[in-house]
Amino acid sequence: MPATVPHIHTARLTLRPIAPRDWEPFCACAMSDRFQYITGKQDLGGAWRLFAAELGHWQIKGFGMWTVTETGDDDTALGIVGPWFPADWPETEIGWIMFEGGEGKGYAFEAAEAARAHVFNTLGWETAVSYIDPENARSIALAERLGAIRDDAAARPHPDDLVYRHPKPEAV
Amino acid sequence: MGHRDIPVLETERLVLRGPEPEDYPDFKATFSSYRSRFMGGPLNKYEAWMLYAAEIGHWEIRGFGMWMIHDKATDETYGMAGGWQPAGWPEREIAWIIWPDKAGKGYALEATHEARRFFYTEGGWDSAVSYIDPKNLDSIRLAERLGATKDHGAATIDGNDAVYRHPTPEQLKNSQIADGIALEISHYCDPLFKPKGFAID
Repeated sequence: MPATVPHIHTARLTLRPIAPRDWEPFCACAMSDRFQYITGKQDLGGAWRLFAAELGHWQIKGFGMWTVTETGDDDTALGIVGPWFPADWPETEIGWIMFEGGEGKGYAFEAAEAARAHVFNTLGWETAVSYIDPENARSIALAERLGAIRDDAAARPHPDDLVYRHPKPEAV
Repeated sequence: MGHRDIPVLETERLVLRGPEPEDYPDFKATFSSYRSRFMGGPLNKYEAWMLYAAEIGHWEIRGFGMWMIHDKATDETYGMAGGWQPAGWPEREIAWIIWPDKAGKGYALEATHEARRFFYTEGGWDSAVSYIDPKNLDSIRLAERLGATKDHGAATIDGNDAVYRHPTPEQLKNSQIADGIALEISHYCDPLFKPKGFAID
């Protein structure tokens, strides 16, 4: 991880790199039906490996998912949003997972828009996609609100995924 | 603890360093292979990367974790050894994996012995276990060479693993087992005393 990672601020939110203290809300989410469209519902061991990998992604790549918090309440994780690019991934992805309590207030949109600006402006990405389970209607709706459009020709990690391609950096 | 803060340990033949991004292909090759059948593998390429990232995240979450084992002279990697305690693990574990084509040279013994020494002297551990698949005879033999004995009363991860309990720091101090480990490692280091028999980690 770079020595200092600046936090991202939006109108209502502060995004900070995911950290060990986010384990409890992450675990609760990963072991619930909320993960059915992400990796499938996890057991304790699976949830922990995913969480440790989120932290490892930052160490390996120098970037990763941000924990979304309300500005002024740094400890309450509302979800994780941000760039995701493991080895062998077809393309640079922007992902989002909102925890219970982080929904219904437009936080995912606000955070994803800010994370997208970050990957384009700071990380220098030239394109970004989001891989979404076709039954994940709320996630598809968010991708569309962000201006992403389906790219059925693009490679995808799993054959059943849909690929939503975000607008180009100059368009956002 | 970021991966840049992971302590570096040296032994006679080896350097143990935190896992680095460029070591991933070696890890992936082993965890995609039959060699990893006792450690939850073989894994597909996404699962392999996620586990590697988790190895690194483990250090940050727990403050300890698995080191990458390097040859001191060539920097080549031979496997991993160190501490492991994801959620759901009853106790802190000492774990190891050696790449399949590097087995039989005593690297796991040398690396694990050093990792255990570090946890006992620098990490404040007063005990440790290894959770081993009962069919993993090479690992059971290594646990026994390290002086660990089967603990029938200890909690297992999921009932499918045997618990080997390592000697405590006090039991290891000036013990016959410690002398035996040192002697065995010195024999591996000196080709004159190359151990005979079948390959063991």
